[in-house]
Order: sequence, then C-alpha cells, then structure tokens
Amino acid sequence: MLQKQVLEQFQKIVGPENVDDGEVMTNAYSYNWCMEFVNSMEGKEPLPFSSIPKAVLLPSNVEEVQQIVRICNKYNIQFKAQSTGLGPWNQPSSDNCVILDLRRMNKIIKIDERNLFAVVEPYVSGAQLQAETMKVGLMVHMPGAGPQVSPLASATSMNGPGFTSPHTGHSARNVLGVEWVLPDGEILKLGSTGLKNNSDWYIGDGPGPSLRGIMRGWAGAKSGIGVFTKVAFKLFPYPCSTKFKLSGISPNYEFEIPDYMKLYVIDCKSYNHLEKVFLKIEEEEISFICSHLSSYGLGAIFSNSIESLLDKIPIVGMKVPLVVLIAARTKREFEYKQKVMSKIMIDFKLENVIGSKYNPNSLFYAEALRSNLGLHGFIATGGFQSSKGQCDTVKVCLKTTKMSIPLKKKYIKRGVIGNDFGEGVWITSYESGHYFHIESPTMFDQTDEKSVKGMAENMEENHQFDLIKHLGAPFFVEGDKMHDLFGPEMMNYHIWLRKIKKAFDPNGIADSGFYISAK
Amino acid sequence: MMQLNEEEYQMMIKRCLRCSICKWIPQVQIKSQKYATACPAIDLYNFHPYSGGGKIILALTLEMDRIKPSEELRDIVYKCTECGNCAIACKFLNTLEPLEIIMRLREKLVDAGYGPMPKQEAYIQAVKKHNNPYNEPHENRIEWLPDDIQIDPNAKVLYYVGCTSSYRRKEMAIAAARIMNEAGVPFNILSDEEYCCGSPILRVGEINTFRQVLNKNLDVIESKEIETVIFSCAGCYDTFKVDYPLYRDYEFKVLHTVEFFSELLEAGRLKLTKEIPLKVTYHDPCHLGRNAERYEQWDGDEVQIMPLISINIPPKPKKTGKGGIYEPPRSILKKIPGLTFVEMERIREYAYCCGAGGGVKSAFPEMAVNTAKLRIEEAEDTGAEIIVSACPFCSTNLQDGINSRGSKLKYFDISELLMMALGLEPEKLKQILGEAA
Amino acid sequence: MNDYESEDTLFHSLAKICGSKNITIDPQNLKLYSNDMSFFKGNSPNLITWPSKTQEVVKIIKLANQMEFSIIPVSSSSKYRHHGDTIPRKDNSIIMNLTKMRKVISIDKKNRVVMIEPGVTFEELIPKLRKKSLRLLLPLYPTGTKSVLTSVLEREPIIIPRYHWDTSDPLLCTEVVFGTGDLFRTGTAAGPGTLSQQKKVGQAHVNPMGPTQFSPYRVIQGAQGSLGIVTWATLKLELVPTVQKVFHYHSNNIEELLDFQQKLVKYRLCDETFILNNLNLACLVKKTRNEIEDLANSLLKWNLIYILAGRGDLTNDKLNYLEGDINDLMGDSNLEHLESSNLIDRNEILECTNNYTSEPWRTRYKCSYQDIFFISNFENISNYIKKVELKYPENLGIYFQPINQGTSYHCEFDLYYDSKNEKETKDLQGKFNEISIDLMDSGAFFNRPYGYWAKEVYARHIEETSIALRKVKSIFDPKNVLNPGVLCFDE
Repeated sequence: MLQKQVLEQFQKIVGPENVDDGEVMTNAYSYNWCMEFVNSMEGKEPLPFSSIPKAVLLPSNVEEVQQIVRICNKYNIQFKAQSTGLGPWNQPSSDNCVILDLRRMNKIIKIDERNLFAVVEPYVSGAQLQAETMKVGLMVHMPGAGPQVSPLASATSMNGPGFTSPHTGHSARNVLGVEWVLPDGEILKLGSTGLKNNSDWYIGDGPGPSLRGIMRGWAGAKSGIGVFTKVAFKLFPYPCSTKFKLSGISPNYEFEIPDYMKLYVIDCKSYNHLEKVFLKIEEEEISFICSHLSSYGLGAIFSNSIESLLDKIPIVGMKVPLVVLIAARTKREFEYKQKVMSKIMIDFKLENVIGSKYNPNSLFYAEALRSNLGLHGFIATGGFQSSKGQCDTVKVCLKTTKMSIPLKKKYIKRGVIGNDFGEGVWITSYESGHYFHIESPTMFDQTDEKSVKGMAENMEENHQFDLIKHLGAPFFVEGDKMHDLFGPEMMNYHIWLRKIKKAFDPNGIADSGFYISAK
Repeated sequence: MMQLNEEEYQMMIKRCLRCSICKWIPQVQIKSQKYATACPAIDLYNFHPYSGGGKIILALTLEMDRIKPSEELRDIVYKCTECGNCAIACKFLNTLEPLEIIMRLREKLVDAGYGPMPKQEAYIQAVKKHNNPYNEPHENRIEWLPDDIQIDPNAKVLYYVGCTSSYRRKEMAIAAARIMNEAGVPFNILSDEEYCCGSPILRVGEINTFRQVLNKNLDVIESKEIETVIFSCAGCYDTFKVDYPLYRDYEFKVLHTVEFFSELLEAGRLKLTKEIPLKVTYHDPCHLGRNAERYEQWDGDEVQIMPLISINIPPKPKKTGKGGIYEPPRSILKKIPGLTFVEMERIREYAYCCGAGGGVKSAFPEMAVNTAKLRIEEAEDTGAEIIVSACPFCSTNLQDGINSRGSKLKYFDISELLMMALGLEPEKLKQILGEAA
Repeated sequence: MNDYESEDTLFHSLAKICGSKNITIDPQNLKLYSNDMSFFKGNSPNLITWPSKTQEVVKIIKLANQMEFSIIPVSSSSKYRHHGDTIPRKDNSIIMNLTKMRKVISIDKKNRVVMIEPGVTFEELIPKLRKKSLRLLLPLYPTGTKSVLTSVLEREPIIIPRYHWDTSDPLLCTEVVFGTGDLFRTGTAAGPGTLSQQKKVGQAHVNPMGPTQFSPYRVIQGAQGSLGIVTWATLKLELVPTVQKVFHYHSNNIEELLDFQQKLVKYRLCDETFILNNLNLACLVKKTRNEIEDLANSLLKWNLIYILAGRGDLTNDKLNYLEGDINDLMGDSNLEHLESSNLIDRNEILECTNNYTSEPWRTRYKCSYQDIFFISNFENISNYIKKVELKYPENLGIYFQPINQGTSYHCEFDLYYDSKNEKETKDLQGKFNEISIDLMDSGAFFNRPYGYWAKEVYARHIEETSIALRKVKSIFDPKNVLNPGVLCFDE
C-alpha cells in the first residue's frame, strides 16, 4: 500500500481509475513466468511470485510517466516499467516499488513508408504493427518471444533475436529515434528526435556519441535505466506477397501459402558440416529464416501439441537439422533463390525432406511470417526458458552446443528437465550471416518443485560453464550477482555499468533487479 | 466429460505463462491494429487481472492464500462477459482453459459469500420467484404470441422461446414462429411451463440454483415426447446444448433457429422472394459461436513418455470453438437476394463479444454498453448499413451500443431479415429500404 | 614548476613510455597540427608522440590524468585533415599520432571480418582484402592515406545502404583506452576470457553489442576521440563480387531519381547507390578542372548511380533477376529515357566505388572545399537544396547518400573555392557559416558536429542531450584529458 499522500499524487497524475494499490491487484502483478526458478536461483522459495509492488499505475503518455518518476524520486519509491509484461524481468525486486504498466500507451505514432521506419508506443504488439506495415509491403522484426509482445520493449529493454533475423536483424540494431524518461524524470530524445525544430525519428545516433550505447547493450536494461515511451525502428521489405488468408477454425487453420515461399529442412549430419552449410547459405543472402534447431525443437515448430509432435518422425529423427525458409517478392527472385539453394544442396550433398518425406501444415508458413514459432517451445512441458544466449560466430555457437551436451544430459538424467538429448538449441543467423546467436531452450515443469530447482541449478551451472570455457556472456547476465560474477572476467565492465547507473539514476529509483545497482 | 475437475483446476492455475496471448485474437488472424484485441474486460479496464490470464493468476493467488476473497476480488472477477475469446487464443498452442477457470473462480466466490454481484443476486431471486430474470409475471410469458401464429400441441418440434425473447425482444420470437409457420413446420411452445434456462445463473457461479432450473426445464420437455428443441436465443441454446449435459443427459436434439432455417432454405421449404439491396454484416454471438461446442467425452490415459513429458492417449479434445455455429447464419444472409454480405475483422471463433454476457449487462451496464460501442464501431468500419445477429442478448446490447454511439447502423435479428426476404414484412422492408435510400 | 620545466618533464615522461624518437617538439611539425582544411582555429600542440602499442597509449593517458595535459588523437597519415577535430583547443595539449599502430591484425574470410589498428589506411587495407576476395564497406572514394578506423569512428557514410544495418556499421568490436587510462574491450571482445581464449572457441568478435547491458562502442563512435582512444577494432566485411554492373541515370528532376532509388534500396536490389549533382559526379570521376567542367556541362543536374553485383556461378542469374525486377519497378515511368550509357566510362565509376584516391576528390575542382553535411529524412531534401543553392549557386557540389538501409540520407553540400584567393576565401567562410546555421535552423540534423558547428548544433537540441553526454564524459574521461572542447564538452 502507498502512503495516502503519495497515492493521491499518483491519482492526480493518471486519474484514480488508473492507480491501484489494493491487495488483489498488487498480488496479481507479483506473478510472472519463470519467477519460480529465478527465486530458486536467489535461494528463495521457488514460487512464481516476486516482491509485491506497492501499487500499479497505468500512465497514458510521456508526461504522466515523467511526473510519476518525479514523485518516485521525491518519495524514494522505486519503479518498474513493463510493456506487454512477459517474464520475470518485469517484476519488482523490492517491496518499495511501483509497477508502471504501459498498456494505455498503445499508439502506432507513424509508419513511414517512404523512410522505412515505424514509431510506436510500448503497448503496440508485434502482430498489430505487422498487420499495419503489411499494408504498405513492409514488415517488422519481432523477437522469438512472439508476435504478442512489444517491439518497443524488445528494441529498447530486452533482447532481440528473432526467427526472421537473417532478414530483419536484431532488435537492438534496428533502433532509430527514442523517447526516454530517465530515472531522474528528465526526458531524453535520441538523435534527430531531440531536435528542437523539425524533430523527426529517422536516426537515433548523435549529435556526437550515440546514447543508444547507454540505453542498452546486447541485452536491454529491463527498466533499470528509465522508461522508454516511444521508439522508432527500421522496417523491412515484406519478404513475399502480402496475401494472408486463413480458413478453418483455430488452431487448425489452413493458410493459403503466399506466392514465392519455399521451405527446406536439411539434415547436415554433423556440426562441422552444418557450419559450412550455414555460412554458405547466409553468404548468398537468400534466406528469410535460417535456423538450426535440435530435431526435437524442429518437430516442435511444426506441431501444435505434444501429441502431434510424435507424428513428425522424419523430422525428429534428424541428426543436425537446418531449417531454411526462402521467400521472394517476384517470380524471378524466387527462381534465383531456388537455384542458389539447389546448387548448395548439390555441392554439399544435402537433401530437403520437405516435399519428399514431410510436408508441414500450411499454418507453419503463417506462423513463420508472424514470428509465432518461438511459442511452440511451450508445448511439451508448459514451461521453458533458455540458458546460454551468446552471440558471435556460428563456430562458437556450435562449439557451445557440442560442449554443453553432457551438462544438459546430467540434468535430463536427473529427470528435472525435459529430454531433448542435450542437443536442444536454437541458433539463428543475423544480417545474412554476419553473426549468430545460440540459446538452449530447456523444458521444465513449473509446477514441480524438483524440476524448478533443477532448472535453477542447470541455469547456474551453465553460467559457470560459459564463463570458464570463454563461450561468451549469456542472456541472463543481469542483476548484481551475475554482473559481479561475469564482470571481473570481462574487462571489469560491471564497474563502468555501475558508473552509468549512478550517473543516470542518482537516487537509485529505477528498479535494478535485472540491471545493476550503483552500490 | 472434459470439463475441469478440481484437481485439474488446481494444476492449471499454476501454469499461466503471463504471455498475454489471451488479450489478443489468434496472432495469425490479426488484420489491423484497431481490431486485434480479444477481451472486452482488459480493453476497458487495462489492469492485467482483467484479462483471462490475469484471472488465472487471481485464482492461484486465492488458492495460495496470498489474497482473501473480497469485494475487490469479486469486482474484477465479475467484470468479465465470459465470452471465452481468451480461451480460444490461449489454446492456439497452449492447453489452459481460462474460461473454465473464471467460471470456477466465480463458483468459489459464491461459496465464500462474495459472489455474485448484488444485481445478479437480484435477478436470481427473480428467477426463483417468477421463472425469469426480469421480474416479470410468469403469466405474461406468452404475451408475445400473436393470434395468427399456428401452434401445434402435438408437434415433435418445440420452440423454446426463452425469457428475453418472451419479455424483451418479442420481435425475435414472433419472427421465429412466423418463419416456422411459413415453412409449414408444426411446432409447439411450452407456454407457462417454460422457465428460465438458467444461463444467467450459471454464468455467475450459482450452481445450485442452476441445477434446479435445469431439472425443471428438462422435466417438462421430457414429459412431452419432444424430438427437437429450437432456440432463437443463443444463450438458451448454448446452455441446453453445452451445459445441461454436464449435469443431466437428455435425448432430444437441440437446434438454433439459424441452423434450422438454413436447413429449411436448403430444402426449399422457404422461398426468398424479396430483395434486400443493403450491405449487411453479422455478429457471431459467443453463445452460438465458439462457446456452443459441446464438451467431449475423453476416457483416455495420461501417459508419461519421459520424465516431465506426458501425452494423452488418445489426444485429449480441446474446446477450440470448432463446434460453433458459424456457417448457417452466413449461408442464410448470402441467400437473401440483393444483399451484400460483409465481414467484420473479428469473426467466428474469435469474434469480439457484444458485451452483455456473464451477468455484465445487469451488474456493469456501462461496461456492457462500452463494449457494444467497440463492436458497433467495428461493424461500421465494414461499410455495412445493417448489423444482424442471432441472440436477444446481443440484440439488446448492440442496440444500446448503436444508440449510445449515435451510430447510423440498424440492428436486426437474422430472423427479422429473413422474414422480410420471405415477404412477410413488406412494410418493414419498405421502411428500411426507404431509410437506407 | 614553470612552463618550460613542465614541458621538459612531460617530454621525458613520454620518452620513457614510447621512446624519445617517437616524440617531437619540432615547431614546423607542431604547426601542422594547429590548423587543417577547415576554418577552425585552435592552438599549437606542445608535442607530438607516436605510440606503437596499446600499453603505451594506456600509459600516456594515465600520465595525462596525472600531469593534466590534453591528448588529441590523430590516426590518419593524410595531410588532408579536415573539420577541426584534431586541432588542440587548449594549451598544454599533445598530439597522439597513432599512425605507427598500423597492423592488420587478422583477416577472417569465413566470418567476413577484419581486425585493424588505427593507423591502417585505405590504401593498405583495400588491396590486402581484395587479395582474399573481401571488401570493406567504403565511404565514397576515400583518400588512400586516411585511417580506415577514423573514417568508421567518425561515421562517414558507407555507399552500400543495404549492408548498412545499423548507423554504427561497419564498426564491430573495439579495444579502447578510456580517458581514465583504463583499457577496455567492447562487444563480444570483452570476454569472458582473453582474445586468444575466445579465438580458441571460435569467436571472431563479430558482435559489437555489449558487453551485456550497455554498448560502449556506440558512445566512442562519433566522440571525436573525446571519450576513449581505440587501439584496434574489428570491421564488418563483404565478399568481392565477380561482376558489377553500373547504371547511371540523370535528370533535372531529383524527385524522380530519389523515388526510384528509394525502391532500389527498399527492396535491397542494388549494392552501391548515391545521387550526385553534375559537378560532384564530374569531380568524382575526372581529374583536372577542364575535364570536370566538360563532363559537368554534359550531364543533367542530378545523377543517380547504382551498381548491381553478383558472385560465383550464378552471377548472371542474379543480375537477370535484379535487372528484370528493376525494370518492372520502373514501370511506365520516364526513367528508362534518363539512362546515360556513354557519358561516363563505367570503369571510372567502379574505380570510385571500389578503390581509394591518392588525393581527395573534393579538391580536384578548385583545390579547396568546405563541406556541409548532415542527416535528413527524404521529405526535407528538396528544401535543403533550395536553401543552399540560393546562397551558393555556383561551384556547389551536392551528394545524397541513403544510409541505414534507406531510413535516412547523408546530405552533403561541397562548397568549392580557391583558398589562395583571400577574398573568395573570406566570402566563402561567411557563406559556409550562414548556410550551416540556416540548415540547422531548418531542422537539418548535424549528427557529426565538428568545430564551430558543435555549439550551434547542441543549442538546437533539447538540453537533456548535452546533459546526458556530459554525464557520459564524466564517466569515461572525468578529467577531460581527451580532446577537450569538442562536441558539448567544456574546454
């Protein structure tokens, strides 16, 4: 509960109907996916609840956000901002925190067809934006978390890998102008957005150094460095015909596959061979999707239930699969891309199982275009989270995969995580193969304490493993504990990050549970 | 039956991913930013617990004693039309049953003495006293029936009129009856032996009272050697078709008028002679669409194939809206000469709710009308001149939405439009064509 | 200690770090660094030092923190320094000349990445990469003696928009010594592990983001050496095409060329593409003033260049698809009549897009130039052209470069003049300032605010920008030893 005078001030800002500090509301906002193993990792009871926020606020514009943040500074109350709110990163880390649920900030400010970018508020979903950009032949990069999440959150605050990354890159690298309420309540506007005259969103860097480097890194600051109220990011040419027609009843839709799409699922047999094939395909700049998944993971993206996974024998029997989706705007482009693929298939002695041994439901193509494939990870146990999360060459991604198999198997053997033979990873290329990322989706049962604790241990051991073996910094390096673990092995970056936190959040008002505290 | 038992409920409330899929229509069906959402409650009240997933979290926090039953909790749980759109979205990939959980949560609040809402309690008392939630005298139930309608006391077809058509939307009852007369279908009605179907009672969690009215209705119908019961009310239809069998089996067949009339049209027993050269859109009532799917019997086994991973053999059926009645009303409209049929963006199993269901119309009239306004706006955006539906509850609420929004749209029940096309309402047809011109 | 004594101490302290032969106090030499091709006036440095190792850079910066002198980093061996960013603004400054750090540390074809030190120039690197069938993402016809790293750190626009995924491209990871003297590595190069440990597991430092939740490379870039000194960086490369096909369209109507170019960029159909006015295209491809004038006179005012490229066995298939799709995009427009097939030899254009020039092409017409450059969206381009042409109708070169995959344009107005003519120079200086201010007032986004521009540019931005940048400066260079006075940082 808030002090009466603070509550009244918040009510004045957002209206009484948009603040709630009641027991029911605040308790409901303390729940999130994966909180149980995050708690377990922190030595707490493995429950899916974080600290209970003091109140939940629903601001509707940047001015309201600014005023709330100022009140927080005045009364020394922390804030945690969330957009679509999926995952533990949205949760307060102390009981002195209010949640800013940015749901009411849901406008597409503009889709600039000519300058190829969109400007959105926090609660515009990927699918919403995609539906609108398609109308002008463009598409948006959506993260693996799915089309229901906020592209603003992905661009400013979270991570940003997506299934369409060969074509649409990484969220962090697509950012243009940004409107940002700093933890002290000042409003910063990056790049051309900060011009006093003729302000626009076309670039987010400068004048001079780019403050995008303070805003986020490979991972975002998860509200630890302020609240992002608008962001502009690049749009990409829609990869094929924008016809998007479904029939039937959910979830068994039939999709009229648009012109000029072709799927390849290839067994590369070995990781060495996969590396060569991966690089070659990406060098040719032909893929819309180019991902390695374990055979189990691959089966999952073609299935909408655990039962339907079992009839994917030609797929789940593959050793080292690669899934490539090519898409083209014109017949010429399509023929060229198919020719390139055919040549690669011959040169590398590969066989496409699609069309010969297996044909996915047409809905797969709709989900690929809508970036809905990541959500299939939930079909087996209902719970999953990825360990790993490194990003550099395909080589290090594959090496990480291979080296980590025994580690994963250990936990599979204990029966605390789902059995994917230890090979369950997702590796995708970015920007036509200029870099790659790996994550290791790991299935666990969030209702089973043993499994949750095992998942937490598995996560921690993976972190240690990646650190000791120099495999790169995983996704979950956030929060003081992890930064203090990795920082000393990584040029003491944590010291610099702390200085940034201190300079931009002198009162420590932006909740740092998933960022870093100034200490 | 596939309905959740307590054990499944307890397990399921621990499994929400808080992914917010439930707030949207199926992701692959989203066609615009404006009409992407699925849930009136979260659309209007914004705090996460108003969503389907949010209510699953409330259920969990309640079970874990993190919160106590309270009016605060009740007000959130009852600000929900139980339209079930969240459940369709969730089950695109997941296996949770947010609608079932909401219904169970209401039952628990009733048991704890917090539910239903006072106005809902008032209409339950009215049902107990007068057999209808409107507190109308039971003897007036048949007042809607014009003298020229032919009723056959020996007919095997029963027209179950329902409280709303009997007392509030009499035009629907009249239209249904006239069309059956036109097709030469002998039918009977229950007259003063017809009682509330219990839908508004069931939806707010008053199971005990619901059982009583259910038995009362089935006892009467089963005493009359009825083969088929026809409903013009989607709510009554859904309750008979889907909910009654969970408590008591019956032998007769149930059909909604749109199904029945569509069959009559196909069989050539109804001739559409009048042109209606207007643009018309159709609103799928939740009770006739996605929710009108029966629970399927499942006697399979849950088999653990490896640690943590179990499968159901055979696969457990999911209620995904596939059993809803979508095509018959569309087929009727498409057969009307001169009529141009246009679809809204959210249709069939992911249609947006009119806002009246789940006891909302009585307990939270403002929420109901605000939801209707959203739906009317969607209908307007199709360019339609007329919105039709097939539910008296939708009828009342969408018309309130039209009035409140100042919309130029006209609302008709599909049977009214059918009557005009059959040439049974020449004056009315002339009037609407004149207004459209 | 008086000034002489302190200078002497400084010399000796530096000599201990990098050897006395790598330091000079020769006034002639020092004078070279007190000015450049711009109008910016500063001070002469006290000395010049040439470190050759990262550790020397570290030690010098630490010394600067102790002894409170300023360091102005310079990486190009070129005499064509411009824009005033390497001219000392304070007394007690030294030039840190990084031209002796000129190793190409590694070329990795598989991962399309090169690691270089700051002294590596375009004339060294381009041929080295070509030998391995690799190419840099080049700015328009760079000067051979220019430091590749400087060009990248200063965000000079690259000419292939479809490969320009992020403003920062082609910069990837860096090793940097901050103003505190602390050594740091950005992106995946930060670790865990040493570089060789990372290499062992297959990393090649191709991910610039991070470490973890910040990306310091973004603040180092565009900082004009005021936050850190980069001692090596990895750069993103592309494969050399086997065939390149050049297209040249000219028109008096820039809108139709911009419209067409936008489609090429939107659908990622072409590699290099840019628009030049007739004078600038002539300056780019011709060498002498007469040749330039002749060609400029024969060209229509606006010239769109784009290049299609293919590689390997399917080159012709690729070119056929690209050309076919481009023809379809032209549709019924007038464009096909605008193609110029014989005014310029296509190889002359390829030379400018694939190679380096020994002398800046912008000096070819009248020996001197001042360039005004900024970023714009598409809509404002015509307005900016009008504004500049009104004030400087003659001797004006113009260059528009779509950047960041077509989300904005680098706009450049090259004001050509004869610097030996005092009056012309004086007039030009007045015009240069006037036009710059006029453009800033119209909302042109000067993302690289050099010299006298800086104050004006930051004044036209919300105050929070400067406040935030000063916070960044206080973190990475709290004692203000690195290039003080540039940007919005106090002298």
